[in-house]
Parts: sequence; structure tokens; C-alpha cells
Amino acid sequence: MEPVMASGPPNYKVILCGEYGVGKSSIFRRFMNDTFTMETGKKSTVGLDQSSQLFKINGMDVKMSLWDTGGMERMSFIGSSYYRGANAALLCYSVLNKDTFTILSQYILDIVMNAEGAKIFLCGNMADCDGDDKVTEADIENFIRECGDVLSGVYSISCKENEGVYDMFKDMARVLHEEAMGRMTLRKELHVIRPGETPEDTNHHKKKCCSS
Amino acid sequence: MDEEYDVIVLGTGLKECILSGLMSTDGKKVLHMDRNTYYGGESASLTPLSQLFDHFKQPAPVDDKYGRPRDWNVDLIPKFLMANGKLVQLLVYTGVTRYLEFKSLDGSFVRKTDGKLHKVPADEREALSSSLMGLFEKRRFKKLLSYCQSLDLDNPAAKNKDDKKIDPDNLDATQLYTEFGVDKNTQDFTGHAIALFLNDDYLHKNCKELIRRIQLYSGSLARYGKSPYLYPLYGLGELPQGFARLSAIYGGTYMLGKTVDELVMEDGKVVGVKSGGEVAKTKMVICDPSYVPHKVKKTGRVVRAICILKGKVEGVNNSESLQIIIPQNQVDRKNDIYICVLSNQQCVTAKGFYLGIVSTTVETSDPEGELQIGIDILNGKDKSNIAEKYVWYSLIITP
Repeated sequence: MEPVMASGPPNYKVILCGEYGVGKSSIFRRFMNDTFTMETGKKSTVGLDQSSQLFKINGMDVKMSLWDTGGMERMSFIGSSYYRGANAALLCYSVLNKDTFTILSQYILDIVMNAEGAKIFLCGNMADCDGDDKVTEADIENFIRECGDVLSGVYSISCKENEGVYDMFKDMARVLHEEAMGRMTLRKELHVIRPGETPEDTNHHKKKCCSS
Repeated sequence: MDEEYDVIVLGTGLKECILSGLMSTDGKKVLHMDRNTYYGGESASLTPLSQLFDHFKQPAPVDDKYGRPRDWNVDLIPKFLMANGKLVQLLVYTGVTRYLEFKSLDGSFVRKTDGKLHKVPADEREALSSSLMGLFEKRRFKKLLSYCQSLDLDNPAAKNKDDKKIDPDNLDATQLYTEFGVDKNTQDFTGHAIALFLNDDYLHKNCKELIRRIQLYSGSLARYGKSPYLYPLYGLGELPQGFARLSAIYGGTYMLGKTVDELVMEDGKVVGVKSGGEVAKTKMVICDPSYVPHKVKKTGRVVRAICILKGKVEGVNNSESLQIIIPQNQVDRKNDIYICVLSNQQCVTAKGFYLGIVSTTVETSDPEGELQIGIDILNGKDKSNIAEKYVWYSLIITP
């Protein structure tokens, strides 16, 4: 094994987790190109499932790569490979649907099993909407207590109104980066091979800056 | 599920997932089912380590005897990817490579009659110092190699001018060897350790297949250095998952843990798949042989031994991950014996442990004995490197 210094800004892999239909792809879309669509079902996820953005954290460029599920969770397990090497998981639920919230403890189990060491963040989507059976603040507080201290951040957002989405990602980037710096290790990466990508390519990835 | 699909795929092995991914990207409506609750079928990587022991109905080791159980991702049927081969091209073409990471293997070795392991040279310097063949033989071999590398197989008209007398269209492999005057040993080495033919049937077939395989080997070697082979981090089970993901993001529907009751036929043609009382309609079904046991026949058997090793394999220049080929002629067999050794480099074993797998096509009534020569290599001089060993068979099946 030959550890080499990684080039370019540190990159954190973040995976979206949560029930079908809570708006994971909407969150992904906001992250990717700051758009929103009312289209539902599989069509909303077609073709793209990875996107990277740069964030400025304490004057340093930090890259976050967000992975979307591709709708695979609708009928079946998403597969262990999705979780590989994830630095963080964003647990998503819809505030309008309590079931999508109560089931999250199962997702935490999956994450702990398959993505060792990943930080877990909680995110309630559709916060702009009103409903009869909304997830309440008390529910969330109970959940946080039950989870012990596994949650590294709790957010409430609306993809439709674009409320809190950017702030959430920026905060996640900060937490991930500060934690990594705290461990104060040299960033070591396995010298891995990605067919079709020469080492130079990785530096030439479009560096679209989210904060600009 | 009570819908109509362009195609229904049964089983999530690599081939099934590749097809599913390609058809979804092509706009086809795909339903993909598997009776297991995990992806990959027989090509799923076993993790944690206890799964390997479960598989062979053995009690799992206690006290993390073999390191952290979760660090193990065991492939029962290991396969290497040629760095320049079709599968890698397909990964790049489809973009599935973005889900995966690979490591190149440290080396490729071949066992000669003298019982020693020789590295298949990866560059000019290694070739010059190699003890595989004598000085003059090396020159002849080099000429053969450069001829093969420079030949444009798609455009035979543009034949190398210096080799006008050689017409690959009308030569079999033996005749090609004769043209360059290479000896039996070199032929063995070229055909089995470079062109990766499993037996000697190729000798009397047109030489272009041999040339094509030599080109693939050299091209792959040129890509990432030490050996032409790549292995996915965390095991081969990552590959079908990558293609399944591709299929899903282009609209493919996935159902795992679904028992398939039967294929519904009408007038000898398939019209649907029945599962749990429901029928999904389709005009096309793609499946692995296990879903249609009465429609396939067996044509042979492969025997494999999987071993957990406590240390590196001896006599391979400290390589941690490698392939060793024992050409059939060297040990009076008809089929080659393959040994593959993987390590923590590929994230398939716990640190300090290695996985060795010996395999060959069964020829005798004592298949396990056929593997012995490979087992001995893994076990080392003082016969103590193998900590666990399990032997099993798989059938070779054709429609």
C-alpha cells in the first residue's frame, strides 16, 4: 500500500438516505444546479446521481460530492456499494409524513453497517407545507435523544421554496472538514485506479463554486 | 408489478446487470428481479468473513482470529479485468467507472517445469533480466512480440512491410511460432501466460486470435504498469451493483428477494414472468441458468480451493497480489491451473492476511489432487501458510 498525498481540495462523499418520495432527488437537484421540479416518480431522478460542489470553509476550498440513490430504494435494497467510503449520510424525511421519519432508525442501522465512520445528519424536507400529521419538534427531540449522539447536525429545509438548503450543505461541509482537520492526519488516499480518468483529469473537474 | 415491460431480467449477476444497464440507457423499460435479497448472485462478494464460513457450512472463527471480519470481501470465483479489455471499456463508456475504484495487481507469474515461478516481464528491463528463456530465445521472442504488436488486425492489407512473407490469414498458431523459430517453452509461455489460453486447442486454429490476445495483454500492461490486471476495491460484487445502479437511474425497476415461480409461455414463446401470484408481462426474458434449470445442460466441472493465508506467497518477489499460471504442458495436463492471490490492497482481506484461490477444469476422478501443485505453492516450504482451506466445484453450463 502506498499512501500518496491527495491533490486538489479535500473531497467528502455524502450519500442521501431515506424513504422513496421524501424529496432526496429534489435536494440533489438543488445541490447540483439549484433548480426545482414538481415532477414526481422515477422521472425525477433520471440519468444523474452524482454531483460535486466546492465550499469555502475557513478560507479553504472543500469539495462535497453528493450521491443520489437513483430510486433504487423504492422496491429493494440499494446495495452496499452505494455506502462505500461515504464520509457522511444525509437522512431525509418528509415533515408531512411521520412514517418516513419513524423508519429512520433502520436507515441509521444500514449506514452504521455499511459506511463505517460516516457522520450522520438529519434533514426534514417540505418544511414549507402544512399538514395534519406533521412531524413535531418534540418528535425530533425524542429521536435525537434515542439516537444518543450519532447525529452531527439537524436541519429543516424546503427544496421548493429553497429555504435552508444551501446553509445546510455549507454547515455539513464545515462539520466534515473541521472533524477531518481535527483528526489532523495527512490525507492519505489509496493509490486507486479509475479507468478512463488520468490523474490529471481529477484536477480538471469543473470547479463550480457554490458560494459564488 | 402487474405491468408490461420491454424486458424482464432475472438474476443480478454481472452479465445480467450489464445487459439491464445497457437496455435501460437505451430507453427500454426494464424490470430486474433476483430471488436473493442482495445483488450479484454467485458473484456477490461475501462479507463479513463469517459469510464465507456459512457458505461452506463451517463454524465461524471466534475472537477476530483473522482480523476485522468486515474487512473481508471474499469472491468465490475471482476474475481479473484486463486493463485494456472490453469490460473496462464498457465501464468507461457507460460511466459506471465513477462508482468504482480499482487496484492493479502486483504481478503475473508462470511456473516452469523446473518448479520455479517466473515473473511475466512487465517491461523491457524485466524482460532482459528474466530467467524465463535464454538470450537468443529472447531475441526471437521479442521479434514475435513486436510483430504481433505492430499488426493491424482490422486492416490486414496494411501488413508490416518487413513481414510480407507472413500472412496471418493463412497461418495457424503453430505455424506462426515456427515462422519466428521460438521453442516449445516460449510457445507455452506465450499461449498460456500471455494469451491466457486454458488449453492447447488454439495451436491448430488461425493465429489471429493469438495475436489479438497478445495485443490485449501488451495494451493492458502498458496502461497501469506492474501487471495487466485490475481488481475492484471491495471485490467483484461491486461490478454488478454499479451496472444495476446505471439501470436504475435510467428508469430500471429493481425487485430483490422475489421468488420467480415460472416463466409464462404461450405457443412456445415467453409472454411473462410469474412471481408471488402476480404476472409481469414481457416479450423478452434474460436470466442466469439457475432460473431455467431444465433448459440447460452441464458440459464440465471446475474445481476450486479457497485458502486463507497467514502470510505472503513465497518466491514471487514479495508481490502481495498476483496471478500464477501453471501451463498444462508443464504438469502433464490438458488444462491450465490458475492461482490467484489477493490482499488488503484490494480491500478484500483483513490486514496481514491473504486470500489464495486455486482452480482448474476437472480432468480426473481426483479433482482435489489436481489442485495439489497449486496448494503447495500457497502453503510454502514449511507447509504452514494455509490457515483455512475449502474445496468446491462449479458446473460449466450451456443452454
